[in-house]
Amino acid sequence: MLLFRSGETVDRWCAANGSPRRPLLTLDQLWRLAVVWYENRLTAESRRPGPDEMVSVFASIGLTGPFWDPKSDAFTSST
Amino acid sequence: MEAEDDLAVKLSIYRTLSETGGAPTASRVAADTRLGEEAVLASFQRLHARRLLVPEPGDPSHIRMAPPFSGIPTAFPVEARGRRYFANCVWDAYGIAAALKCDAVIPATDAASGEPLVLEVVENAPVPLPYVAHFAVPAALWWRDIVYT
Repeated sequence: MLLFRSGETVDRWCAANGSPRRPLLTLDQLWRLAVVWYENRLTAESRRPGPDEMVSVFASIGLTGPFWDPKSDAFTSST
Repeated sequence: MEAEDDLAVKLSIYRTLSETGGAPTASRVAADTRLGEEAVLASFQRLHARRLLVPEPGDPSHIRMAPPFSGIPTAFPVEARGRRYFANCVWDAYGIAAALKCDAVIPATDAASGEPLVLEVVENAPVPLPYVAHFAVPAALWWRDIVYT
């Protein structure tokens, strides 16, 4: 996951790397994702979310569809 | 027993990372947990299978990633608590601030232009900026090559 000033520089990076443009997150969305994923990571109780939990976490910040589904096979022939 | 070992190893790794900014070797974790080094190496593999740890490719006694921390320097340094940490990606850079529960400065760059883009976390919130994060890899493929992801 890389950082960009704008969608314009994302497009430049995608063109230079032959990579399709994929979802963009605002910094607020990214922070919310980081908090859910990592705020308890240093504790004994922490664990990585399972696949269904991941879908719920992503949906809670507006990220839906097969791109955000770890069980999706929609992208298995690409990177 | 394996579950107890794994918990002790995980907590030892994160304690060292949070206190020093660097990842411990298997021998250091063994000394810290009083487990044998072979037991620690086996735990590294189980934690990797649970997607909580990535041993260094070719050297299973070293840690490449203990998300959100990186065991090696990266393009995502995080300055917090008076020391420098390294994250695996921009998501993990915020993740270090979230895990440590402290303010942080993240001197990153635009991946296309190299322009410096500094992120900050102050009082448990990101300083608002119009930048964006691009997720190039779908969630289903993140662990196919987690270092690239």
